[in-house]
Amino acid sequence: MSRFIACVLIAITPVLAIAGDWSQFKGPNGSGVSTDKNLPTEWSKDKGIKWKTPLPARGVSSPVVAANKVYITCSSGVRDDRLHVLCFDATTGKQLWHRQLQGTGGTACHPKTCMASNTPVADETGVYALFATADLAAFDADGTLRWYRSLVGDYPTITNQVGMASSPVLVKDRLIVPMDNAGESFIAAVDTKYGKNLWKVERPRDINWVTPLVREVQGKTEVLFSGANGLIAYDAANGDKRWSYKSGVGSIPTAALDGDALYLPVAGVSKVKLSESGVVGEPEWKTAGLQNGMSSPLVYGGRVYAANGQGFISCGDAKTGKQLYKERVKGAFSASPIAGDGKVYCFTETGICTVLKADSDEFEILATNDLGEEIMGTPAIANGLIFIRTDKAVYAIGK
Amino acid sequence: MQVRFCMIAVFGMAFLAVSTQADEETTRALAAIKSISREGKGNEDAGPAWKSLVSKGGEALIPALEAFEDSNPTAANWLRTAIAAICDGEKVAGRKLPVDKLEAFATNTKNPASARSVAFELLASQDATAKGRLLPGFINDKSADLRRQAIELQVEKAEKAGGPDLKNELQKIYTYTRDKDQIELLAKKLADLGVQVNVAEQFGFVTHFALIGPFDSTEGKGFAKNYPPETAKDTSAAFQGKADAKVIWKLCETTDKYGEFDLNKLLDKHKDAVAYALAVIVAEKETPCDIRVGSPNSVQIFLNGKKLAEREEYHHGSPLDANIGKGTLAKGENVIVLKVCQNNQTEPWAQTWGFQLRVCDATGGPLSGIMQKLAENGKQIKLGYIPESALSKEKK
Repeated sequence: MSRFIACVLIAITPVLAIAGDWSQFKGPNGSGVSTDKNLPTEWSKDKGIKWKTPLPARGVSSPVVAANKVYITCSSGVRDDRLHVLCFDATTGKQLWHRQLQGTGGTACHPKTCMASNTPVADETGVYALFATADLAAFDADGTLRWYRSLVGDYPTITNQVGMASSPVLVKDRLIVPMDNAGESFIAAVDTKYGKNLWKVERPRDINWVTPLVREVQGKTEVLFSGANGLIAYDAANGDKRWSYKSGVGSIPTAALDGDALYLPVAGVSKVKLSESGVVGEPEWKTAGLQNGMSSPLVYGGRVYAANGQGFISCGDAKTGKQLYKERVKGAFSASPIAGDGKVYCFTETGICTVLKADSDEFEILATNDLGEEIMGTPAIANGLIFIRTDKAVYAIGK
Repeated sequence: MQVRFCMIAVFGMAFLAVSTQADEETTRALAAIKSISREGKGNEDAGPAWKSLVSKGGEALIPALEAFEDSNPTAANWLRTAIAAICDGEKVAGRKLPVDKLEAFATNTKNPASARSVAFELLASQDATAKGRLLPGFINDKSADLRRQAIELQVEKAEKAGGPDLKNELQKIYTYTRDKDQIELLAKKLADLGVQVNVAEQFGFVTHFALIGPFDSTEGKGFAKNYPPETAKDTSAAFQGKADAKVIWKLCETTDKYGEFDLNKLLDKHKDAVAYALAVIVAEKETPCDIRVGSPNSVQIFLNGKKLAEREEYHHGSPLDANIGKGTLAKGENVIVLKVCQNNQTEPWAQTWGFQLRVCDATGGPLSGIMQKLAENGKQIKLGYIPESALSKEKK
């Protein structure tokens, strides 16, 4: 009987991320912004670390945090076909469970990336992990396998020999799975309970690393997804196309959505206004100097930030697009800048974080922190901590 | 729902017949997991089955391993995670894993390679002597992981022992290598000892091809178009190619140790084009084989006129073995045809047009009783043949 009550309680618990979680790529709806306070400013290999736990292998995916659990994916093996999903206690860093899958799709990719490149998405019930091999698994928070699918088994022509990296997102009880590739290309919604397709929509046969964004408009939930043919808004309920915007082409970075403003990482950054029926008129501004490479732009405190592969950090006024500064630091950026508590955090591939003062039109460095390990995935901010996954370990930075 | 339950029950009974260790509930659970098919069909039953299996603890470990099938990677991944959860539970309960049974399972080569690899890893986590005792026996294993570990260990042992036998030992180990990095490593170690090996032979690269082209592929349509060379039996015919130009077969060879053919050099630079490569392989007896292709272009692999594999993707790298066609060589002569399509991208990095092709066994190793018949003179050569003069040049 107690099991029955427990089941009923689980069934009626809303499947939502808890406020303060960082449950998907770039956190709350991909904004890269946390509302947490008292975030750390300074740290090093020996200082300012609450906990550090080793990882079994490399990954370029981000850590995600939900219901006080940190989830991380890795990939290993000479063929990079051994896929790992790990869960840690966010307070202590204790590893709670570790599950492995054998990749069923191709493992060819650019040497900078790997098969653990798509960031998982989590809620208080568990985690959904998509890999570049197109293996997709859902685990309950205790490590129980809820379901698993080999998408290459389902759609054998899926292929991207550069490597895939688009991340899934959650819309209530459905998981949105982006699968743009050179073979059977699609975006789909699968139900979170059994992993079955609710809808599946054909997409251009082209590779794409963009992660979908989600917005609510007039009682509808839209999934905004940029790709080779521009930006398309899909109805999350049925996959119907609601509107499109040809100039919203995407391939690697993901746009930033801030209210009814969308900041597209196209030839720098361009800002467009959204109405219920799509993009309104021409872009409000286009600023070529806000250069992105692998990383996605950040909108925080009325400013737009971009970091690129040459080590440039650029900042512009979100209202006018006026470039405020463009400064170079040592290193290259793959991780996207994130922000919270009045600070902007920019992480280089070699593990150096430049902490900038956000409320400034000048390039004001608050601290430069070196962990000395590769950081490719965008870190997470949750519970007043910064969670960084390197190629060797996961760190909780802060107190 | 009733039909599905009946199907699971039938699967369950069938599985029970071959498994003596599983109880009825475990058998049903395993059958449900093995019944999963496309697009998550069967997930509703597999979820509860997974929990049921894990709740059985250690007693379900061997039955779960026995339920692996190399041909059903989806079910294998369900089982793999269940085994991890079972092991977690046994650890928490303070119970040891059944090492004797794991060893018996891992060493029985009739069991699926993927399951044996899992069993060996579990065994090695419990028994520090397992690697030293068992790995030497896995040096010619179907499991790529077990074979790789065995080679690593044997190289280490051979080098530690040193002495006059080192050269022979390394030569012997080299014949078992399959992974590119291990082949290269052993080849270098042997070269340092004065032994020149031809890695192209170990891979089984086809080093002689008859090439023909270009045929039209405007807007990429050539990929889906069936041009006559796809069913060619020899290189005697001429065809109408792109822009109605007459095209004939051109005999080409490579001395590249990875069997690479550069079509831009051999057929001239063409865009929106299709080329074909043909080779005749002679088998002493009917022989299952892999035909493995690497190419930056879209490819289709044909064996005796039957398409075995295809990939429509351009200029996203050219990884070794990215395309694998599984077929069976008939006794006698067999015609392998490779279709290689070039698109019209203009970027400097998107101009390559070429391929490498090898014929090997399912582990990636050389096949016995297989030769290539040359079109120019009917002479038979080993797969991977590169003239001594070219090998010596590489050495210098």
